[in-house]
Amino acid sequence: MQYHKLKNWQSIPELKSLHDLSTPPKELYFAGKWNPDIIKNCSAVVGSRKMTDYGARVVEKIIPSLIMQGKTVISGFMYGVDQHVHEVCVENRGKTIAVLGWGIDTPLFGSDLALAKKIIASGGILLSEWKTLKAAHWTFPARNRIVAALSSEVFIVEAAQKSGSLITAAIAAKLKRKLWAVPGPVTSRTSKGTNQLIASGKAQMWLGTDHLPGEYETDDPILEILQNEALTADEIARKLKNPVSETGANLSLLLLSGQILEKGGKYYIADVN
Amino acid sequence: MLIKIRSIANIGLETVPVDVEVDVASAGFPGFTIVGLASKAIEEARERVKTAIINSKLDFPPKKITVNLAPADLPKDGAAYDLPIAIGVLLASGQIPVHLEGVKAHLPGEGEVDLTKSFFYGELSLDGTLRPTRGILLLGLFAKKCGTGSVIFVPAESASEASVVTGIKIIPVKTLTQLASHFLGREITPLTEKPLKDIDELALPEFDLVEIAGQEQAKRALIIAAAGGHNLLMWGPPGTGKTMLSKALPGILPPLSNSEALEVTRIYSVSGLLRPGQPLVYKRPFRSPHHGTSTAGMIGGGSNPLPGEVSLAHLGVLFLDEMPEFPRTVLEGLRQPMEDGTVEIVRVAGHIRYPASFTLIAAINPCPCGYLGHPRRECKCSDKQIAKYRLRISGPILDRIDLFVAVAAVETEKLSLTQEHPADRLTSKKAKEQVLKARKVQSTRFKNGKIGLYTNSQMRNADVKKHCFLTAEAENLLKVAADRFDFSARSYFRLIKVARTIADLESNEKILPLHMAEALQYRQII
Repeated sequence: MQYHKLKNWQSIPELKSLHDLSTPPKELYFAGKWNPDIIKNCSAVVGSRKMTDYGARVVEKIIPSLIMQGKTVISGFMYGVDQHVHEVCVENRGKTIAVLGWGIDTPLFGSDLALAKKIIASGGILLSEWKTLKAAHWTFPARNRIVAALSSEVFIVEAAQKSGSLITAAIAAKLKRKLWAVPGPVTSRTSKGTNQLIASGKAQMWLGTDHLPGEYETDDPILEILQNEALTADEIARKLKNPVSETGANLSLLLLSGQILEKGGKYYIADVN
Repeated sequence: MLIKIRSIANIGLETVPVDVEVDVASAGFPGFTIVGLASKAIEEARERVKTAIINSKLDFPPKKITVNLAPADLPKDGAAYDLPIAIGVLLASGQIPVHLEGVKAHLPGEGEVDLTKSFFYGELSLDGTLRPTRGILLLGLFAKKCGTGSVIFVPAESASEASVVTGIKIIPVKTLTQLASHFLGREITPLTEKPLKDIDELALPEFDLVEIAGQEQAKRALIIAAAGGHNLLMWGPPGTGKTMLSKALPGILPPLSNSEALEVTRIYSVSGLLRPGQPLVYKRPFRSPHHGTSTAGMIGGGSNPLPGEVSLAHLGVLFLDEMPEFPRTVLEGLRQPMEDGTVEIVRVAGHIRYPASFTLIAAINPCPCGYLGHPRRECKCSDKQIAKYRLRISGPILDRIDLFVAVAAVETEKLSLTQEHPADRLTSKKAKEQVLKARKVQSTRFKNGKIGLYTNSQMRNADVKKHCFLTAEAENLLKVAADRFDFSARSYFRLIKVARTIADLESNEKILPLHMAEALQYRQII
């Protein structure tokens, strides 16, 4: 992939936020078309490598609202939440910056390469402070500081108790960036970190875009019971006291009309807003 | 004196006659030779036969004995020639005082043993008793084909295998001494034949659907699979009842017809898997090979090829638990039998074709650790690992599976609150009635069609076009779904076949949108 060195980045006014760091990067490399405008107004959305269905759905809610506000979405290009963030951003025609945890000339393969191409095609860039460096344990936290510094606000979607996303959160707090954490179920491992950020007051709780629960009115009994929780076809049939064959047929129809979603055998309401 | 004893050789499921010629020469150095492409097991028959004869208080003649197994160019294996060789030696040495008239051996008493119509088959033990021998049913069927009046002399313990064959005389032999006295007039009572009766009564299923709580959708998928002969893939974390569900499948399949039972028994007889005293396999087979099974074990093999798991599951269920754990070569080997219903094995010993028409039930975990999507336990696999795990089942195999169903972990407390009373649960008996109804609809439909087309799953694309009438709404629904879920042409036809079976379950001639919508529930999810 074609990449360039950003000559004398210290003189670029859009990148002055990087000077907030105690150890700003020495050099910067990028792939894609350089456009200083996209760095002006950035939000970072990061999270666990192990994304749950819940995390994916949260990302799908956060990103469109950020794009509506004209923000560029920054993330870390790692599989899991980060890549999903880039993916959703590209799908919604937003600009996105992927800060790599390795040298810019490292060749990419498979789905990584496909995503990188999509990011560049949509006007985003891939960014790294190294030219040739293999990914190592320390390179990812180092990358996180750039993610945090470039953004005015940071969203933590999902994070386990010991997660790289919490490093990003800590740096963001130190740099006085606005920190949001998405609350999750207390039983979920990947929401422990985010819940703790909220409980300790380090982050603000993100409760979605303006949404008043319970206002969603529907005649369909399936949509009605799916409003409260995600259920399998068996559970829905049992609650409605209907044969599973009939319930299954109705679920297929709702799925095709886009009113519900299915993931891993469970059905969700497409969007309560 | 030269004596010719008739016996057989089983090559796969085929039976060919073998003549055991025994000559006890009056001149020459004492010796005992066996010729005629005999295997090691037959070579060793010399020691068994000699010792068994001596231990039966009979005389082993100290003369030059030559045994020829004809046809000489056919490789022969197994210990079943012990009995024909032993009886040949006893007759040829004149110990049993027979008067030979042509080929008939007259007994001193009233009876006679017509050696041209008698078959001897069985393994000897050193003390002269006969040991259970495999392939007796095939011998019985072959003897029947040879004409009326055929008599088979077989080990008493395995004799019941052949008792379903009518029109032949079965002599169950316990010891060599007993057989010698039979020739001397103290006849052994032949086995009474047990003609096939309604065997469904005897086939109690291992598992009843009523024993499984919840999993209504998976049960429904089982009924559809049984009704249309569709292969099924169950997807879900460990401990959710995938194995139990698949064990319940034989119980809701239509009962084996008499000819089918015989077909299955033949395979089991060749493999030596019939228990002593078990004349027939009544139940539809349920085979659940471990994922360490080799290709030869799955498909069949060995230098003298024996049936593999696919053939042992013939007309029944082949259940592959943890399917991605099976070696790729083993899974790919399933392609031919799944397509053709038979499997061909080529080895040095020859070219053998075994039937292998089974319903495949595959169970896979959502990820290597098994707990992805589990309500309480955490999955510890990375995305890459999960993607790799799913890719282990190749497209061609998935293409042959019509139904996919997610089997979620059952949260017991939720079940007990909302579950209907166990008495209202679906029983295997009720499910079977539904299946039988749908099968009847199919057999009427395919009656005048192609040969070998019995169930919806066997339809080719041309048959689908001919037999599946979709209403305009159903077709429209399918088109919308194809667009939305990005179906390949193949999954398109698979869905129509499943919808056809769902419509058959309701005896509906047309495929309504409701049927199509339900079929969409079972679309490919991995």
